[in-house]
Parts: sequence; C-alpha cells; structure tokens
Amino acid sequence: MLTELLQGTDAGGFLIIQDSASYSGRHLLKSFINAALHREEAVHVLGFEVSEEELKDGLIGASIHRLHFHNAYTDPLGWTHNPAFTVHQFCSEGVTQLVKQTSQSKPATLVIDSLSWILRHVGPPAVCKTLQQLRKGGAVRAIIGLLHADMHQRGTVGSVCHMATSVITVAPGMKGDEALAKITKRSKSGKVMQDEEIFSFKEDFTVVVQNRPSQLGLKQTETEERETDPTANLTFNLRLSDTEREAKEKLALPFVFSKEKKTALLHSGRGSGRILYEPDANDDYDQEDPDDDLDV
Amino acid sequence: MFAELSSILNASPDSFTQGEFVLVSDRQSDASFLIHHFLSFYLRGDAVSQRLGVSLAQAKEKGQLVFLEGLKESLSVLIPQDTNTGSKAMDFLRDPAVGLKSLYEFPSSVSSSGSRAEGAEEWGPLVLLVDDLSVLLSLGVSVGAVLDFSHYCRATVCSELQGNVVMLARCDGEEEEGDGDDEGSETLLKGLTHQCSLTLHVQGLPTGFCRDIHGQVEVCWRRRQGDGQSTQKKLFQYKVHDKGASFFAPGTSSAVL
Repeated sequence: MLTELLQGTDAGGFLIIQDSASYSGRHLLKSFINAALHREEAVHVLGFEVSEEELKDGLIGASIHRLHFHNAYTDPLGWTHNPAFTVHQFCSEGVTQLVKQTSQSKPATLVIDSLSWILRHVGPPAVCKTLQQLRKGGAVRAIIGLLHADMHQRGTVGSVCHMATSVITVAPGMKGDEALAKITKRSKSGKVMQDEEIFSFKEDFTVVVQNRPSQLGLKQTETEERETDPTANLTFNLRLSDTEREAKEKLALPFVFSKEKKTALLHSGRGSGRILYEPDANDDYDQEDPDDDLDV
Repeated sequence: MFAELSSILNASPDSFTQGEFVLVSDRQSDASFLIHHFLSFYLRGDAVSQRLGVSLAQAKEKGQLVFLEGLKESLSVLIPQDTNTGSKAMDFLRDPAVGLKSLYEFPSSVSSSGSRAEGAEEWGPLVLLVDDLSVLLSLGVSVGAVLDFSHYCRATVCSELQGNVVMLARCDGEEEEGDGDDEGSETLLKGLTHQCSLTLHVQGLPTGFCRDIHGQVEVCWRRRQGDGQSTQKKLFQYKVHDKGASFFAPGTSSAVL
C-alpha cells in the first residue's frame, strides 16, 4: 500500500505522515516529494522546520526546478523586520496566493513541514478549517503534511488525522535501516483499508518495501505445529500398537464408579451376603428422636 | 575536553561538523559534565593549548567567550535596584506574552556586532551553549516559547552563520505517557529532539547505583550521515573523575574486566 500511495494521491487527497521523537518521518516526506517531482507535478513546500538546503539535500537535480520552497524557517513569527512567510499567514487565502504566484495553471501538490509547527501557534480548529478550504479550493491538488504525534494531545492528533484520506505512522523497525509503517487509507466510497509494512530507503530516497510483519507471525505458528510429536526419537518405545490400544480402552479403572459397578451394588446377586435387621425390645429404636437417650 | 567522547562523535577541534544542533539531556541524572566537554572542545585553539588546558577567564578576556548569566540577570529584573545595568535579555520575565525574542537577540547581537577588539584574532564559527533550558521552564516560560527560541537559535546560528548550538535540557520524572507533573519538560525534550541533529541522553544505570560506573549515555545521530543511515544510536557507559570522564561500551568498565 505504501508503494501505491507513493505513486500518487488522488485529487483532493490529504496524506499525513505521523512520526515521533524516536523516528523522524522527514525521509518519507522527501520520498513523497521526490515521487511527485518525477510525475512532473509542481510541488510547493511550506518549510517551517528545516531550511531549504536541508530539505533539498539528496533530492534529484533535474526536476528540482518544479520544487518551490516557501521559507517559513528563518522567521516564522515575524521577529525580524522582513519575514518571508509567517505562521499567521497560514490561511486558505494566504496559501492559495502563494501557490498561484509561482505555479502554472496545473494545480500543485502542497507539502507542509510541519503541521505540528502550525498547530503550536494556530489552534486546531483554524488549521482544520484552512486545510478543508484548501482541499476544496482547487489551487491545490493534494496536500501532504508531516505531524509529530508525540508533541500534541491525542485529541488534536485525532481531529487532524480524521480529515486525512491516508495516514502513515512511522516507527523504528527491528533492524537499524528498516522502519515500520502503519497505513490507514480511506477511499472515496468510505471503505477503510489498513496495512503494516516494513520499508527502507535507497540512496535516492526511493522506498523499498520489504516483507510485511504479518508474515513473521505466520511462520511462528508453523513451527509450533511441527513440534507436536514427543514420542519420536526416543531410546524406548512410547507408542502403542492397535491391539494394545484396544486393550487399554477396554480396561475399567479401579476407582471409577462406572455403570456396571452401580448395578452390581444395587441389585446384589445370589450368594452374596445379605444383612437382615430386626430391632427387638432392648434396642432403643425411636423413630422420632434417635438421640433421646442422650443425657445432654 | 574528553578525548574518548570526541572520538565517539567523530569530531576534533580542528574538524567538526558545522551547523549542528546538539541536544544534551538527562533524566534524574546530571549531564553538566558534557557541557564542560563542549565548552573546552570549542574553545580550543591549537595543540599547545590542548595540553595546557583551557582557561575560561582568559577566553572571556580575549572576547572569545561571552557569558550571559541568566539567573543573575533575572534576579535584577525581578528585584529591581537603582543601578540596573542588566541587558534586555531577561525582559521576558516582565512580559511573558512577548516570548523569548529579547533573549534570542542576545546571541545575534553578539555575532553581528562582533566583539572583536582591534588586533584581536579571528575566531572560528559562532557556538551557542545553553545551560540549561529547563531553568526557563521553572522561570515561568511556556514550552512553546522555549521551542520557538531554540528554533530561532538554530535558524540563525546553525543555518545562517554555520555555527553550532549545544543546549542542555533536564527531566526529573520517569518517562511516561499521559498527564503528569513533569509534562512540560517531557514535551520540551521531545520538541527539542525533533529539532536537533545529535542527541546525548544521560541516565543512571537501570540496575541502580554503582561506584565505578556513574551512568549511561545514549548518543543518537539524527541527520543523514555519509554512509546513508538516517538514524544511528550508540550506548556507552561513563565514569566521571577529576581530570575528565571516560566512556566505554557497556560491560567493559575497567572495574569489571
């Protein structure tokens, strides 16, 4: 599913890459930018968190002219006198204007690095409103955002991801180079698909998807089934032949109260001892109170 | 300067990566010995002073080291006296809404004015050392404002001036999700981790106290290295002694071997 998403989000699509302090999602973000540039799309990046050099580092040179970096890194809060793009300019009119200035008639792909920066300064309702307006606006074909899930409360992360058509959560993998991606994709028909994949990067930011973690789970149950014959490879014989098995099943166990024993006790056969009891006058047999003779 | 740590970080005073944002953090431990390392590492001139050690007073006189004593200045803001000659750096205490903009202007003013007297030597790239950021939280600054401050420091010192930034952030509590008293410093630590290119996290040993091993340091490189690995983590144990600190792989302490 990761490869499908890399090949192109549908128009009006909104993809979120969620990461945490233990694994940065920026490499995957760069892979998406790379893929979009290869598809000859114009890519506009609102860069809050990293500088232009750092973002462009490693991306392929030929189609780099289609990448427009809007510098919100040097002065996002307007502390100097000449800010390029501040966080408070993040509204649908501001962004649309920015995109239309530099782009041709084709709608562009908007990349936001990162949504967490904006959410820290502009509240979640305003951010969601702007994102929704941008999606419906038409100036922007698709939006890809990076979100640091451990920087916000769960409610904030949940509400922003609720608006997304696809969410990829990245985490470190078992081996050094690999990472784990949990993907949730919502199609237009309302169907939700989820998947987990292990992937790694090549030098040019292309993604190599490796075996899925669910396959490892299957292998484990197979080995368990193969281990169920303890009677093999012994120096003595624990197996039973057919006649032995029949005799074993016929054997009545000594202390088990089976049907045969019950009938034998209830209907005692001829020749077995019988006990007859006739109380005479000397026996104190009082039916009402058997303890009558006690002096208590 | 700890020679072992320098080799672990693949850096020497003559050649180190520029534009780096180093985060030194600790949890229920004390990572200030690492600040000493970085201070003497960056103040180093040549091989001669290496052997003689670094004199901070001398560096301050020459103008190589500029010191802002935050707590002392904050006291002069909170308890104003007649002879108030403090810089404007700690003005955020008077007006929290302004944020740490004035504090940020301190290093940028130092770098632009160039405290270079006539005939003074040309120093290398600017290095900003902050010891420590968690004090700002206890002074009442919000986590968002501190993260904005560190962002601006990084944008100016690392990207524009190709200098280095080293910041210390401390945590008192256990690492846990959800609400806790120490939420501010946890969020600050996570935010700084996202921003930095190299982290050194100091913790006590998980098994308890030990006379010969004072704790463990986890070094994590977050930026892409030459060989293509995006994140690389290494764990070391350390022991602090009079002349410095020694670092070794876990289990190879001289007390054990």
